[in-house]
Amino acid sequence: MKGYAGSILRVNLATGQISKEPTPAEMARDYLGGRGFGIYQLFKEVPKGADALGPQNKLIISTGPLSGMLIPGGGKCDWTTKSPLTGGYASASMGGHFTAEMKYAGYDSIILEGVSPKPVYLLIEDGKVQLLDAAHLWGKGAFDVEVEFKHKYGEEYQIAAIGPGGENLVLYACINHDFGRQAGRGGVGAVMGSKKLKAIVVRGTKSVEVADPEGYRKAGMALYKACKDAEGLAEWTRYGTTVVTSWCDEVGALPTRNFSAGSFEGGEKIYGQTMRKEIVITDKGCFGCPCPCGKYSHMKRYGTYVEGPEYETIGLMGSNLGIADIQAVGEANRLADDLGVDTISAGNCVAWAMECYEKGILTKEDTDGLELKFGNIEATFALIKNIAHRQGKLGNLLADGVKRAAEKIGKGSERFAIQVKGMEQSGYATHSATSMLLAYMTCDVGAHHNRAWAITYDLQVGRSLVVPEKVARVIWLQNFRPMFDVLGACRLQWVELSIDRDLYVPAMEAITGIHRTWEDMEAVGNRIWNLTRLFWMRENEDFGRSWDQPSPRFFEEPPKTGATAGQITSYEDVQRLLDMYYEQRGWDNNGLPTPATLEKLNLAQIAS
Amino acid sequence: MPATIKAYGMLKTYLHGQNEASVEHGLTIRQALAVLGIPSELVAFVIVNDEQKSKDYCLQDADIVKVMAVMGGG
Ligand code: SF4
Repeated sequence: MKGYAGSILRVNLATGQISKEPTPAEMARDYLGGRGFGIYQLFKEVPKGADALGPQNKLIISTGPLSGMLIPGGGKCDWTTKSPLTGGYASASMGGHFTAEMKYAGYDSIILEGVSPKPVYLLIEDGKVQLLDAAHLWGKGAFDVEVEFKHKYGEEYQIAAIGPGGENLVLYACINHDFGRQAGRGGVGAVMGSKKLKAIVVRGTKSVEVADPEGYRKAGMALYKACKDAEGLAEWTRYGTTVVTSWCDEVGALPTRNFSAGSFEGGEKIYGQTMRKEIVITDKGCFGCPCPCGKYSHMKRYGTYVEGPEYETIGLMGSNLGIADIQAVGEANRLADDLGVDTISAGNCVAWAMECYEKGILTKEDTDGLELKFGNIEATFALIKNIAHRQGKLGNLLADGVKRAAEKIGKGSERFAIQVKGMEQSGYATHSATSMLLAYMTCDVGAHHNRAWAITYDLQVGRSLVVPEKVARVIWLQNFRPMFDVLGACRLQWVELSIDRDLYVPAMEAITGIHRTWEDMEAVGNRIWNLTRLFWMRENEDFGRSWDQPSPRFFEEPPKTGATAGQITSYEDVQRLLDMYYEQRGWDNNGLPTPATLEKLNLAQIAS
Repeated sequence: MPATIKAYGMLKTYLHGQNEASVEHGLTIRQALAVLGIPSELVAFVIVNDEQKSKDYCLQDADIVKVMAVMGGG
């Protein structure tokens, strides 16, 4: 198989058994790679009802045909597992340089199974694979672990590690790599922690065979040229994802004080421009990227450094906590990364707790003495640490995610727990942006934006409209955008630099030897989307429409201030969106794929 | 001398396929966008003579203004 490494590495943490098997050709044909390989193998191999933090769950890392290749941003891999946070499908994309080394070492997927009796790390040097003792690393922050391994093995070794958050099974613990890149969402770090696997260290020196070397060189160069010629290159490289902060504030999409509004009076203090001036010291990118969006920052007040904050963290740990201070946001980011908890989920949890505190639902007795008002920077730092260590009453409560926390505390706090399917919502306030709201409701991992970033479409066609065209747009984005996570490449060159997506077609063909149009690839995207839905259904007996509901805040409480003051999407419109969505997807009224849809997508067999 | 507004990305469609247009100085960027029919809320970024400005910036003689569409945010 051209364009693939050719093998799957299987590591049983319980027995220490390590084996290799060829990558199945039919899996490559039908699921291509990356998140496609992830869900296919998860569905097949993890038994129904497996405990997400138990020995039956697996953590599956997959590269794609574009990973490690001469392609802008070909440095992405996918981490798939059953999510301990949501009980459904989790897939987290990670950039940096890990993916390329993994592919050069010879692996399309690494499947981690079982639970180790003691802390270990996995060392992969091409075909030589070892599980080694990690007792001395247990308890350490992810950055320290990376520094230690870089010193021990050398600069070219790539490391993915968990922090104390993963060890302590914080349900939204993340996996860190490259001093600031994460497999962030859904608790992949908790699954790694449950397996007592502290880190993976990888070095690969092999090459990947392509079908047409000259065509590959030409197609790759055409993609790089398109990036270099892109009009927005300078601005994108200067600001990265923080470029949208001021715009989100202006249009009422910036999460503010637990999503009670979409504009923040202190917004200017956390805009990308402010950040660039005040804390950024250099740019930092992933493997083969011509437009590095990572911003490396120095927070002088704290004497610390971080890669970031990027937009999501600015939204969730800045405005959403009422914090108008870019150095403080940077420091909160650093703490969360090092401790190994997802900044988006942690930001939501802290914001929910702050709202509870301000409303008198939580008191100082519940917060372990923290004065948990919006804007309190020191309390935020303390709470992030408590969460990662499951320390104190509140830290332990919030480590289970905002949905479970609100169910335990009650008193109406469930209505302002901002989540879908148990996953905390990422950085767009959706009081009045119906496509974006639908994108969150139906995203296949929970309330995450990356599958369908539809908010500009809302502003183009009318933000509160509820029409079939908006639904069609969301579905198209959901089928198409995650294909980058399947192919193992970054989507931001297409999203941000607007390069022509058709430039990827000859590159894919030259690499794999198979001609596939974007329509063909969107069909794969659709199959994957439906298979993730089947996984949710299989793992949760009552799965259906009730799981696709947004936080009531978006249909009950119009913001009092900002660009969306007084605006709301009605509950009836929320249901109409779902009706149209299910119909267009070929799902029944409860949101379950019909037999005819499964048949059409070649999923009938796997579903039975 | 009028100021020149250069549109990037999807904003070009509002200039009927042209890349740039002239507007009188003295207007704010926001007003200039309205005159040109470019929806202000789709503009993420305003750069005047290579320096980023807010939409309340008042156009000066012969300013060169780049307006960029909102990008994807991740
Ligand atoms: S745009 Fe950003 S995320 Fe994408 S490859 Fe480049 S540095 Fe990585």
